[in-house]
Amino acid sequence: MNKALISVLGNDQPGIMAAVATVITEHGGNIENLSQTLLQSVFGALLMVSMPEDAQCKELQQALQQIGQKMRLSIHVDPWDEQPTPWQENPPEVQPYILTVIGPDRRGLVAEVSTQLARHGVNITNIQAIFKGGKNPMDNLMVFEVDVPRSTVMQDLRDALHEVGQRLDIEIDTQHRKIFESVSNISN
Amino acid sequence: MLNEKDIISTLMMVREQNLDLRTVTVGINLTDCVSHDLETFKRKIYDKITRYAGQLVASCNRIERRYGIEVANKRISISPIGVVGAPFSSEQLVEVAVTLDKAAHELGVDFIGGFTALVEKGMSKGDQALIEAIPQALTETQRICSSVNVASTRAGINMDAILKMGEIIKQAAELTADDDGLAAAKLVVFANIPQDVPFMAGAYLGIGEADAVVSVGVSGPGVVKAALEKALAEDENMDLSRAADVIKQTAARLTRAGELVGREVAQLLNLPFGIVDLSLAPTPNRNDSVGEIFEAIGLPAFGAPGSTAFLSMLNDAVKKGGAFASSHVGGLSGAFIPVCEDLTIAESAANGTLNLEKLEAMTAVCSVGLDMVAIPGDTTAEMISAIIADEMAIGVINKKTTAARLIPAPGKKAGDIVRFGGLLGEGPVMAVNMGSQENRFVRLGGRIPAPIQSLVN
Repeated sequence: MNKALISVLGNDQPGIMAAVATVITEHGGNIENLSQTLLQSVFGALLMVSMPEDAQCKELQQALQQIGQKMRLSIHVDPWDEQPTPWQENPPEVQPYILTVIGPDRRGLVAEVSTQLARHGVNITNIQAIFKGGKNPMDNLMVFEVDVPRSTVMQDLRDALHEVGQRLDIEIDTQHRKIFESVSNISN
Repeated sequence: MLNEKDIISTLMMVREQNLDLRTVTVGINLTDCVSHDLETFKRKIYDKITRYAGQLVASCNRIERRYGIEVANKRISISPIGVVGAPFSSEQLVEVAVTLDKAAHELGVDFIGGFTALVEKGMSKGDQALIEAIPQALTETQRICSSVNVASTRAGINMDAILKMGEIIKQAAELTADDDGLAAAKLVVFANIPQDVPFMAGAYLGIGEADAVVSVGVSGPGVVKAALEKALAEDENMDLSRAADVIKQTAARLTRAGELVGREVAQLLNLPFGIVDLSLAPTPNRNDSVGEIFEAIGLPAFGAPGSTAFLSMLNDAVKKGGAFASSHVGGLSGAFIPVCEDLTIAESAANGTLNLEKLEAMTAVCSVGLDMVAIPGDTTAEMISAIIADEMAIGVINKKTTAARLIPAPGKKAGDIVRFGGLLGEGPVMAVNMGSQENRFVRLGGRIPAPIQSLVN
């Protein structure tokens, strides 16, 4: 069984998923997992697809290219060997945190914050940005969902992020995910 | 997946609205420490307290680091010393208080509560010795809190005990005259005292409780105020049904956060988790005041007509929200209205919007009672007893907890300012409507019988 990662990017319109999934099925492939998102008006999808041994990846690729041209999408097919990274092979014990960045967009903000996170061994599992503009600081918010290894000293991480916040004139808070969940969900 | 609104509102609660864990309180049962020998008793209680609560401060600090939520106070509640220290004289019980204070210092905890007697129906020898020891014990120690339950709905009101407590409060205040009568601020007289309060000065561990148990007191008047202000900003025609919903939902959220943190501390200490006490307990800071909630809802001031109605709704909505969020809500759970600990209430008392009589009326619908009320230093013991008797009657008849923490500030008269510092805050001395100080009624003593439980009207 071959596996492939298929990425689909382009302006949103109805029928993208229908076209892509139909072609995959017609070439004997099976979608094992997928994630789709909309960033403003841009559609993005990542599909994990298994293909029969004899299936021609090239043919599938050509068929997808045709869809891409017709619907003005950028579609890529990459073979996937499922080789885990060293981090995935030995995942550390982690605590889930939510990191919030409040304040207007700054050049280099994501780079600075994510660099500090990487330096402290922290893995980002999701990022969402909510920039509505205007004067209310809460309308300009970035939310990083992260996993912090037990070996990371929280105070060191908070200090490093505080320093970034001061330099870029933004406020960065780090709060345990359980607090948000216990306060927001009544069913756990 | 967390949504943006939930993230922002939770963030605001912690960052700007003073959500804190007011206290993590470890209850420790001392009944197995009893001895007829004072030194043995002192050693046993010191050892047991320091053993069970040895990691309390470190565990709270660890949880603070993990969750970024401050645990403002770390406290201990113990079995009533009037019971476990029954063989001893009042001089010996002062030594017990000093031993407890030493344990508190050693552990770095803020208070130990349980220098307590339960005398609603009658006073044992131990209770009597304890009550007589209170003024000296609270003067010689810094971190000990004392409470005396003098009434209950089932037993009625012990007027002999109330008469005695008037004298004790007066003595306690006079012994600490240099500090505006500070000892009296650590002493509270109760009707229907709950067994599991984590808040001071009323905390003690009831006889029906476990060997050791962790309870938490969550506060957050600032969070409730902000939620009401936001709801009003979104809909200026919001009615009181909606306001009650907002308070209820906010109370539920606060309780959830408190229970989460409390359970984690209990787990670290390897002790069972007891209860969450969700009480709107103010500190003497802006944005952490119960009085400010009254202004946010549109009352001209705390104590103005309408205040009793709103307080009843606030107290009830807080209880409903807490009870929905956790199956183990206990303690006092509701709205506190301590005068000196709350900037806005102290202001109302200072400018005359709030007088003692209105405050007493409001205690019929709050969760505690006449709390942190400084009164003129020349108020007689008898008059103090009479004020207490009134307050106890409100609790007994309404089947609720009421309490009186009165501080007859030595040398001070109505309108003067008293300062206790820290969480105890500062505020004006409130006038007592004395008339003639002669009060034969309270001197009659005896017991006011327990009220009938039928014919409710």
